[in-house]
Amino acid sequence: MARRSSPARLVIALSVAAMLAVFLLYTSIAGGGTPQVAPSELRGRTAEVSLVGQVVAPVRRSGRTARFELKDVKGGSAVRLPVVYTGSIPDLFKAGRDISLTGRLRDGTFVGASGTLVTKCPSKYTAKKDT
Amino acid sequence: MPELGRAALIVCLGLALFAAVAGAFAARSRRQRLVESAENAILASFVAAAVAAVVLLVGLVQNDFSLVYVADHTSRELPLGYTISAFWGGQEGSLLLWLLILTGFSATAVLLGRRSARSLLAWTVPVLGGVILFFAFLLVAVSSPFATQAAPADGAGLNPSLQNPYMLAHPPMLYLGFVGLTIPFAFAMGALLARRSDELWIVVTRRWTLVAWTFLGFGQLLGAHWAYVEVGWGGYFAWDPVENAALMPWLAATAFLHSVMIQEKRGMLRIWNVLLVIGGFALALFGTFLTRSGIISSIHSFTESSIGPWFLGFIGIVVAASIALVLTRLPLLRSKTRLESPVSREATFLYNNLLLVAFCLTILWGVLYPIITEALRGEAVTVGPPYYNFFLKAFGLPLLLLMGIGPLIAWRRASLRGLGRTFAWPAAFALLCGALLLVAGAGSSIPGLVGYTFCAFVLASITFEFARGTRARHALSSGSWAGAFASLIGRNRRRYGGYVVHASIVLLAIGVVGSSAYDTVAEKRLRPGATMAIGDYTLRYRNVEQRRGPNSQEVRALVDVSRDGKRLGTMEPGKNQYFAEQQISNEAAIRSDRLNGEDLFLIADQIDPDETLFLKALVKPLVNVIWIAGFVFLLGAGIALWPDAREQRRLALRYGSSGSLVRV
Repeated sequence: MARRSSPARLVIALSVAAMLAVFLLYTSIAGGGTPQVAPSELRGRTAEVSLVGQVVAPVRRSGRTARFELKDVKGGSAVRLPVVYTGSIPDLFKAGRDISLTGRLRDGTFVGASGTLVTKCPSKYTAKKDT
Repeated sequence: MPELGRAALIVCLGLALFAAVAGAFAARSRRQRLVESAENAILASFVAAAVAAVVLLVGLVQNDFSLVYVADHTSRELPLGYTISAFWGGQEGSLLLWLLILTGFSATAVLLGRRSARSLLAWTVPVLGGVILFFAFLLVAVSSPFATQAAPADGAGLNPSLQNPYMLAHPPMLYLGFVGLTIPFAFAMGALLARRSDELWIVVTRRWTLVAWTFLGFGQLLGAHWAYVEVGWGGYFAWDPVENAALMPWLAATAFLHSVMIQEKRGMLRIWNVLLVIGGFALALFGTFLTRSGIISSIHSFTESSIGPWFLGFIGIVVAASIALVLTRLPLLRSKTRLESPVSREATFLYNNLLLVAFCLTILWGVLYPIITEALRGEAVTVGPPYYNFFLKAFGLPLLLLMGIGPLIAWRRASLRGLGRTFAWPAAFALLCGALLLVAGAGSSIPGLVGYTFCAFVLASITFEFARGTRARHALSSGSWAGAFASLIGRNRRRYGGYVVHASIVLLAIGVVGSSAYDTVAEKRLRPGATMAIGDYTLRYRNVEQRRGPNSQEVRALVDVSRDGKRLGTMEPGKNQYFAEQQISNEAAIRSDRLNGEDLFLIADQIDPDETLFLKALVKPLVNVIWIAGFVFLLGAGIALWPDAREQRRLALRYGSSGSLVRV
């Protein structure tokens, strides 16, 4: 089999294998990403997560700190999770908006890391229709 | 008027159906008259789509709020330019733009193909018809831009983020790129359906791929600049799914542009090229699907819409049908030659392809990761910028290095001694640059230092190539040096245009590395009169100013900027409150230094009623080189695209005027 003995094929096969190895190495070391959870799923978890929920009024703001509660975006869960966040607050942030922020649970309150609060505007492309 | 628009879309749908069904029947039964009428149906479908587009445009310009689309995306106060850009500001309009460009490209391909590739067209037309059919169907049945209502007094207005001159050019450019990838796909499928084993489809579509790729690349850069000046978080690319959606097909198309050269020159990689074309087109569809389906939530958070499942179904059909076709035609696609040595021009092209495709697939994996983990573990796990940045370094740095090696290495088989001679100078120059940078303090970021050293290597090797070619030509012609240089480029537009594009990628790398690996960030709470320092700059916060813009209330924090005691002027970061849209947008202030390409970027994070300002400042070295790279990219692509009479003659000789292979 002349095909098999070609050194070029071997080199290519090796480079593909090397790339896969890099990939596996990375995913095993970095553990791959932050889990996305809803307020009702947070109970008992203390690892860092990305929390996605809807802001419940009232929102108390002082300077760059906001205290509010988050509920699930979908589903009828009654969980209202207290959240405290200090850092850059997006202009679109207000009660009723869907937001995501990264942080961890401390003594029953979710503490968001600075700069991770992101509002999910109704759409990037479509202006919000007030209903 | 809306009736006319709807009717035009239905006509377009009918024509596409005819082109697909009758065209396929005609190609199969070799009925030339019917083949031609299917071609004409494609031409007519463009006219129908154009009528629909004009109807929507007139509705937008006339503020006809009885059209739901117009009412949802414009308002009376919206300036005319943005009223027009609202055409692609929403889902229905952007689908119509897709259809318009698709039919326009298809009609052009048919007209050009009649001259150069008649025999290929027969099976290409039904493929084009099938794709047009899908988009026309969406616009007729699922997501119509011509839905009507009782006209409200005023429209909802356009999303403030989209009210930016870049939005006039960026989305259409991306669409031109996405849609442009349809043409090479259609010709590739056409060639396979016709059981052709020659390279004609590649020759015919080479310019199409290049055009689509250029639009896609430049469109992304425009988008990056838009994000930089308008979204105002101090960055230009965030590995968001929407951004990745445009990057993936571009990477696939980049790989394809390189690997087709191997097929043209050496008859290798034939299956690979067909797969790349299918992949590029599928990724373009997937990109549109991502931005429109709401399947992956991101910062941009997409519209949850009805077209998602349709798109997914269509992508599934496209991929399954094309792979099945490739499998049935495998014997036709066997390579005529084999790789002779792992150290050769074609081998470096192959490595480049593997890296590009691997990078593309890791991005795809990152985009799909939340969906996969949701399905497997019941919990969506997202991967962020660290994941992508890791692979950008892991695959991007070797790619950069290959860009310097590839052009200097011989075809077929390169001798190691020859390599040493060719690479001595560029390598020495690169190492010298690396050492100088290390002394200058660039060692604070190792990937940055490695990146810059590679950049120096590529630039040196490109310069070396130009110098070598010019000298050879000068020796031949005995004219002036400038004349020799011009004739060198003129005679090898593809090759030297490609080198100019390489130079632009190096500039891009210089800018990206500079602004990400060597940037500075500072944040401070300031009262009027207070100062903060960042880098060499001193910022003094004066006060807040309010003024009335055309359709918004503008709040600005006045910040005096000085460097080394010298006053540089006043910067005005702030916010705009849009009336009709009832939204606030962040307006960053940017001061560009023309001498060193550095930007001072100010964000008024929060302005309290008592005028307390939370100011975020960033110093981004060399970021302006990125935008310069965009123009160099266009220049290079333009050189490569420029019609070349000599090449046309050569191709005509090889394939004959009818497109059937002439044996010589």
